[in-house]
Amino acid sequence: MAKQFGVGDDALAGLRDPARHPFPPDQKAALLFADAMTDGPGHVPDPVYDELRRHFSEPQIVEIACVIGLFNYFNRFNNALHVEITLMDPDVLVRRVEEAAAQTARLPELIDRVAGLLKEGRRYDRVEISRRQGGGKAAAGAFVVPVRAAGKVLGYIRVESDRGITTDDEERSLLERVAAVLAGRMI
Amino acid sequence: MGRIKRLRPDQVGDEVRSLFETFLKERGNIPNMFRTAAHRPEILGSMLAHFRSVMGPGTVPVALKEMLAVRVSRINTCDY
Repeated sequence: MAKQFGVGDDALAGLRDPARHPFPPDQKAALLFADAMTDGPGHVPDPVYDELRRHFSEPQIVEIACVIGLFNYFNRFNNALHVEITLMDPDVLVRRVEEAAAQTARLPELIDRVAGLLKEGRRYDRVEISRRQGGGKAAAGAFVVPVRAAGKVLGYIRVESDRGITTDDEERSLLERVAAVLAGRMI
Repeated sequence: MGRIKRLRPDQVGDEVRSLFETFLKERGNIPNMFRTAAHRPEILGSMLAHFRSVMGPGTVPVALKEMLAVRVSRINTCDY
């Protein structure tokens, strides 16, 4: 999301260690305030607050403290409940796959595009789409869905993720819908 | 896998569904956190309202607020 709001790659890389990155002084003051407020219970030392106050008004500081507090709340909620990162909506992804199928004449090219969409949209580390049977056993961290048409197996989609993989009904249903689009082209 | 089931639009009431639809239109997905919070619709409603008033246009540039959100999430080792 940050990129959509004009945060450049250089600034994003600098966020790994704001103290050492040449951010403008006002941004650096806000980022070091965020570090102090987030590490431990949030007792921000006076020099960190004083530097922030040099650059921002009181209403602005309230807004900045709310952003930092809000994301500490959200992060802790997500970490504690193992809420997974949000991926591309299944309906949106299937629509993109259908568009790719309509625009791409050659099957190998379509397979590349669909694999790319699955990697980008669902953050799989590896996607294999094959016209062979099988796909191997779905080991931990992998998930295999057959591509079928008229009761015949035409191939498979195998996805893998280094972070482990969600094999819930929603993920299975998404991959089956993608497989159905591919089946129309593999037949 | 999440500890708590994330609710789909067909599993929630009209009010939450319309919140979901707005999100889908605005950003192309419904964050899993909000799908999780949807188990408690009143909390989800105020959570979204607070998120918008804090992160939307205010007295501080939105880009700086996004940078703060990324930095905090990084310290907390939470993907954002």
